[in-house]
Amino acid sequence: MPLHERDIHFFIDATLAHLNKITGNEIALRDPTIEFQSLVFSAYTGLLHLKGSAEGFVYFTASQQFLQHLHNSSKGRITEEECRTVIGEITSTIAQAMNKKFGTTLTLSEPRIFSTVPDDPIEMPPAVFVQPLIWRKEHAYLVLGLASAETATP
Amino acid sequence: MTGTEIYKRTPTYERQARDIRLHAPHWKLLLAFDGLRTLAEAALSAETTFAEALPLTKKFLDEEWIEEQPITLDQYLKRQGLKDIAATGAMVPPATVLHEPAPAPASPAPSGAVVAPAPSPAIAHVPPPLPATTAVANPPVAATPAPVAKTGARAMKLSAVVDFITSLVGNIGVGQLLVYRVFLRVPPELLLAEDIASVHLAGDTSLIQGEKLQKAIADAVEAVAKRALPESVFASA
Repeated sequence: MPLHERDIHFFIDATLAHLNKITGNEIALRDPTIEFQSLVFSAYTGLLHLKGSAEGFVYFTASQQFLQHLHNSSKGRITEEECRTVIGEITSTIAQAMNKKFGTTLTLSEPRIFSTVPDDPIEMPPAVFVQPLIWRKEHAYLVLGLASAETATP
Repeated sequence: MTGTEIYKRTPTYERQARDIRLHAPHWKLLLAFDGLRTLAEAALSAETTFAEALPLTKKFLDEEWIEEQPITLDQYLKRQGLKDIAATGAMVPPATVLHEPAPAPASPAPSGAVVAPAPSPAIAHVPPPLPATTAVANPPVAATPAPVAKTGARAMKLSAVVDFITSLVGNIGVGQLLVYRVFLRVPPELLLAEDIASVHLAGDTSLIQGEKLQKAIADAVEAVAKRALPESVFASA
């Protein structure tokens, strides 16, 4: 049974809830876009492949400055390793929330963490949903790429 | 206010929506402002009396959650049930925008982000190491044309299509995902042929001229949202 839009919206809700917990509810949502030609990647990305009631991928991608604020490092500039750790933690938390909500109906891959652009190409679905997030003037994006339009009855 | 004004929700509303707290019937009215219906029609659909709707609408305007939706002369004449004077061969002025609102800030392109083009078919065959995003081919579009298939030479306003689909769901965020699902069914090559590489889910200014694309969108709305597109998604001829 394909997921309903309400269930897919949980991907955004879970991400927002986690980030707001860290930031004290300071995350602002910008108007989303649907992209047909390209994927959007910021400096660091944590990606999950989806299989089961939704097929495709969801990833969170953020600038180094965004992660620096999240890391709240007092030791100066955040290192690449720390950036990967922060983005990995966010992606894992999203995955845990999704596992808890959807159980066995939705299978998630292990988080795939990379910087700039993926080493292995990601197959572009017909369209991707890009939800921009802003915190302290820094940008991050939650990107959803469903492989099919199949949907539960609205 | 006369009741004939048409309002739509604003980017300010979109930003603040999650923080807004309203009496449930007031939400019903606020969500009825879809850029298509008049104030009187919105009040009717929200089961609110016109007298109740007036102060609420003023409040929504003051909060900048809604703004007036400009309409063309043709749309105005159609709403009034008047004959299109162009059909008589009389001279007719170019499409006129009534109630010009302040220009809305354009949705900025993602900043600080690298936009990676879709992999070319030459590399797209490389399987990802994790569960593959299979079935990326577009599913067949419903064979039954939507009632609005008589597209002619009229341009379709992408923003009106987005607003219509979003208005079918009580929650903006969920409605936007319904829009996404609709566009998953629209062949990307048709969109790219009209230089539409992305759709902004608030205030998109694109006009769709191609009949094939118009029909593909109408069919996708029919298939996914189970609704026919209204005439009001079309700009004047």
